[in-house]
Amino acid sequence: MNAKETRAALLFDGRNDDADPTLALLDDALVDGLNEAGWAVDDWRLRDVKMAWCSGCFDCWVTTPGVCTYKDPSREADERAARADLFVLLTPVTFGGYSAELKKALDHCNGIHLPYLKKLGADTHHPPRYHRVHDLLAIGTVPAGEAAGAEAETFRRLVARNILNLQPGRQVTGVVESGCSELEVRTRVAALLADAGVRPAGPTHALQEVLP
Amino acid sequence: MKAPGRVLLLNGSPRPGASTSESLLTYLDEELEKLGVSTQALKLTKAVRSEERTAELLAAIDGSDLVVLAFPLYWDSLPGHVVRACELIARHRAASPAGAAPDRVAPGGPAPGAAARPGFAAIVQGGFPEAEQNAVALEICRHFAAAADLEWAGGLALGGGGMIDGAPLRKLGGRVKTAMQALDQTAAAFAAGRPVPDEAVRLMAKNPPAIVIRFGANSHFRSQHKKQGKAPLDARPFASPPP
Repeated sequence: MNAKETRAALLFDGRNDDADPTLALLDDALVDGLNEAGWAVDDWRLRDVKMAWCSGCFDCWVTTPGVCTYKDPSREADERAARADLFVLLTPVTFGGYSAELKKALDHCNGIHLPYLKKLGADTHHPPRYHRVHDLLAIGTVPAGEAAGAEAETFRRLVARNILNLQPGRQVTGVVESGCSELEVRTRVAALLADAGVRPAGPTHALQEVLP
Repeated sequence: MKAPGRVLLLNGSPRPGASTSESLLTYLDEELEKLGVSTQALKLTKAVRSEERTAELLAAIDGSDLVVLAFPLYWDSLPGHVVRACELIARHRAASPAGAAPDRVAPGGPAPGAAARPGFAAIVQGGFPEAEQNAVALEICRHFAAAADLEWAGGLALGGGGMIDGAPLRKLGGRVKTAMQALDQTAAAFAAGRPVPDEAVRLMAKNPPAIVIRFGANSHFRSQHKKQGKAPLDARPFASPPP
């Protein structure tokens, strides 16, 4: 994680609805865990935000570089993302990808990249606009018994691809099965936050040992 | 997959005007029509705008033998409004069994609910030169097909989509020759009730050298910025803490 005085997390709450209580538990556990670790949390509940779909105009690249020109909360996406050290993506795994609510907001974050195409590593990517390193913690829920399924695997691959465009950030992915107890959710979140460098790992691992 | 009587072409570009997805679909449409296949085109930005438009989309899906979705790559996956359309389609088809459209069930053929599922194919194009960067997006499309009880009919991935930038493929000629060949083969396969051929996948992924695509794209962005830019291209408007 970045050794910065100000540590800020932008939590993209990508729930489409309240159908899965596990996502609510995850949201609470993430906010609590980040706050306990001294992080400022911008908990962005996307389904409550009236935001247009990105129209692919590229104005955020060529007209007002770094800023979306929409006159709605889309304009906030680039700023909130630019000021975050850690992006936390919370979503029901949707066909192996992100929910529509989450994707709507992510599509509006293009301004954190420069438009240029540049070879970075093996492939071509957009270089970052800012010096701040954005790490990525993505947590998706799947139906019980499907954490090792094909959609979960695609989800892990998607997050791994995303981080390539956020170079050189760190990437942590968690797939959580719906129906987990609150204790299981909090234990899992603590472990993921430790993996992301947000909090020490010790207590988390000790807690994991007492769980089935 | 059976030979399609009706093909539904879904344009997943968010752009209101011309787009690369539209260029690809228009070419495919023309090739299918030459082969006697009737088509219908819908734009997903409109389909997710109102319940009425969504109902039109869902009815069109149920009444089609093959659905072809074309879209640009955003954040290694489908644009948000396309994900929303997929969510709506999958929910609808889970609630009403495949084959519910009565005119797709031959007399004496399978009972409603057991008719052949519509096929589903995807064409994804991204600005990056490497077509393989579209692979995860195609995986997502394949999972969507399963969730929506559609028969996966394969996918095509194009890199360097900015080369097309909404222009008709025939007008671009040699620069997109392999893309047109890929679509020719795909149209022929669809008309015969077959999925996207492997050779079409290979042809669509064939691009000019990456360095050429990067140079062309970067020149295009600089030129656009020169015309309409209101701040330096590499401006960092949110680098400082908020006041």
